[in-house]
Amino acid sequence: MSSLEAVVRELRWSAARSSAVRYLLHALLFGFGWVFVVVVASRLVPIEQVWRIAAYGVPVAFLAVAVVWAAARPRPLRLMRTADLRLGLKERLSTAWERRLAAGPLDAALRHDALEHAARVKLSAAYPFGMRRGEALLAAALAVAAIGLVLLPNPMDQVLAQRRADHSAQAHAAGTIAAAQKKLAAASSPAPVDPQVQKILQDTQAKVAAAPDPRAALQNITPAEQQLLQLSDPQTPARVSSAQNLANSLASTTSGSAASQAINSSPAKGAQAVRALASQTQSLSPLQKAELAKALAQAAQQSQDPAMAASLHQASSALAAGDAAMAAAALNQVASQLDSLQQQENNDQEIAAAINGLEAARQQLAAQADRDAGNASASASPGSASGSGSAQGSGNGNGNGSGNGNGNGNSGNGNSGSGNGGSGSGGSGGGGSGGTGGQGNSGSGAGQGSGAQSTERVYVPAPASSGQPDTEPPPLGPGQDVPLTPYSQVIQAYQQAALDAADQSLIPGSEQDLIRAYFSSLGEPRAGQ
Amino acid sequence: MIAEEPRLDAAQVTDLAHALETELARLIVGQRELVRDTVISLIAGGHLLLEGVPGLGKTVLVRSLGQALTLSFARIQFTPDLMPADIVGTNVIREEKGRREFQYQAGPLFANLVLADEINRATPKTQSALLEAMQERTVTVGTETRTLPRPFFVLATQNPIELEGTYPLPEAQLDRFFFKALVPFPSEEELLEIARRTTGNALPQLKPVADAETILSAQQVAREVPIAEHVLAYAGKLIAATHPDRTEVDNVKRYVRFGASPRGLQTLVLAGKVRALLDGRFNVAFEDLVAVAHPALRHRIFLQFEAEADDIKADQLIDEIVEKTDKAKAAG
Repeated sequence: MSSLEAVVRELRWSAARSSAVRYLLHALLFGFGWVFVVVVASRLVPIEQVWRIAAYGVPVAFLAVAVVWAAARPRPLRLMRTADLRLGLKERLSTAWERRLAAGPLDAALRHDALEHAARVKLSAAYPFGMRRGEALLAAALAVAAIGLVLLPNPMDQVLAQRRADHSAQAHAAGTIAAAQKKLAAASSPAPVDPQVQKILQDTQAKVAAAPDPRAALQNITPAEQQLLQLSDPQTPARVSSAQNLANSLASTTSGSAASQAINSSPAKGAQAVRALASQTQSLSPLQKAELAKALAQAAQQSQDPAMAASLHQASSALAAGDAAMAAAALNQVASQLDSLQQQENNDQEIAAAINGLEAARQQLAAQADRDAGNASASASPGSASGSGSAQGSGNGNGNGSGNGNGNGNSGNGNSGSGNGGSGSGGSGGGGSGGTGGQGNSGSGAGQGSGAQSTERVYVPAPASSGQPDTEPPPLGPGQDVPLTPYSQVIQAYQQAALDAADQSLIPGSEQDLIRAYFSSLGEPRAGQ
Repeated sequence: MIAEEPRLDAAQVTDLAHALETELARLIVGQRELVRDTVISLIAGGHLLLEGVPGLGKTVLVRSLGQALTLSFARIQFTPDLMPADIVGTNVIREEKGRREFQYQAGPLFANLVLADEINRATPKTQSALLEAMQERTVTVGTETRTLPRPFFVLATQNPIELEGTYPLPEAQLDRFFFKALVPFPSEEELLEIARRTTGNALPQLKPVADAETILSAQQVAREVPIAEHVLAYAGKLIAATHPDRTEVDNVKRYVRFGASPRGLQTLVLAGKVRALLDGRFNVAFEDLVAVAHPALRHRIFLQFEAEADDIKADQLIDEIVEKTDKAKAAG
């Protein structure tokens, strides 16, 4: 051996090789340990992307061990001391290394003696390859255990699948709202309330997407619908009725029949026709004037809109008095009111479209929430059963109605059922009835459609507006013909439908009790009768 | 400061020690460890306390050492009536040319090799006089202090039995001895060899292998032997482990009253250096310290009464201390 530095180099290389094997085993142990811990944790709590987490941990463990290995490389003095102990060199190397620069009487002889003895032994034997059996066994056991756990079914997979389905349903619902919003934004003639509707839809979309679960997301739908409903003008039905009465009255006159058809077509066209009629009042014959005055007076009498009634009355009076100019001015006021009605109908159409979008999102979220609740009850109490149903019905003023319903049910043994029903019926008034929802063990669905003037309308439960009594039926549009049914014949069906709907797990128990109490209180006077 | 060039080199010291051991072995049958401890004490410049029953060759060993080293030799048989002046000398009145004057009459301590036989039979006063000479290598008579010859090597013996009428050496005085060597009873084979060698007409005559100067030079070389820091730390740990308040050895905590003094550490290191030289090495190894731990520490560990009751010896505790003091830990 040429020098102590050469001894150190050889020892350092031997130590590095030896410790590399040991540290590799450490890395394997940490890696397998990490995978094992992650796999065990994934069976206790739901963890998304568990394999990615496990896979990231392995290179991190190797990197950390490599860093420690590099940092823990022994210094020369330690190498020498270890070699002395392991090779039986009786502290020659370490003493010589400590005194490599000393010039005492025996130091030269000491260094020579140390190198001589170092040359007689195999220095690499100071750092033999080897691994701790216990550590190797532990690493192997962890690997086997991790593989075993991976092969066994993981109960948390179902939770994760449900969570993913929740996120997907929420994203889908948010997408549905966004699509409705986009559709409204793309309209050629935006309604005056368009910015507010857009804002409400945008906020609701964000809340639905950010909600922790479909049940929480659902809670954002109803307030948004209420906000939308508040944007609509409550006087619109009265004005629509007045316009329809005007059209009916004008239909029997020779001069106003064109205007009647135009009003029936749309308020905007009606307004143009009424302006045209106003411009023709000078040229009308006295008989035509009298006929028109009579029709306008009849319309004024039937009108539920005070402003329109006043204008019609003024026009009628002016025509009867032969004041054509005054009559023309009054008819122009009527035309302006028809224009205003057209704008209000545009608003209502946009609001209805927005509510349709929200309702579609509600259906998606409710279906997913029902599935979640069914899964939860199935896992929590085998043998119990739950069911849910939802229904949607719609109709339009052209006499077509359609309805559909869907229902989900879950039996306690983990089986689930779902069904969709749809039916459509057309009538002169546009009544539609919804399909029956699919049945689970106890799930049911019911649908009902109500016609609206040339626009699909969805009934949305909302608090009664001020000045409108609870018992007042919703205002009907022109042409609507809703068959009247005695209260005593429908209340039972309503009660059953309400109680069925209340059985849904989405509705808290206290609220279900409230619904039952309500119908019970209704039943008492009926029984008294 | 430039170190003084020793007259001997390390190899010569090794040869000297081996030659001395060889010469002593001609008269001393067996007792290799005893002989080695004696040589180590001599080269380290320390004094040796020999403990063994009568007739085991303690006196022969010392006398043989004197022959092999061509050093002046004196034997003092310690008895209860031995006075300090009997060993350090005294001033006597002499008449010369009609004048009377005090003249110093040197005692037997003025020799290179002094055998203090049955030291525990002398009174503490006399023991103190000897132990002062051992420590200071001077004696004071009257108002005059006189230096003892160099090298000055005291080999004291004491008998572990027949303790009646003896004055056991106090702890402080025991500490002055470099080594305490136990003289074991020879084996059957050695007994026969002793009989063969000592019952004939011709007794072997020893050949001198060194003089006083050579011994002093060897002592100087021995102190030059380097010791690595971690080996020194190990020596320190051994000493600390003899103390009941610092040790991790349960039996030391239970049985030891006082542990070894710093002089014990000096002894351990110095004896280790000499042993390394005797082994042909130029550095102190752990095994050197372990090898000299018993003679260096057994008289420096003072046991409780409970140890005596449980028949626990200092050597047992030293074995336990050595076993439980991790060399690798000391090596860092």
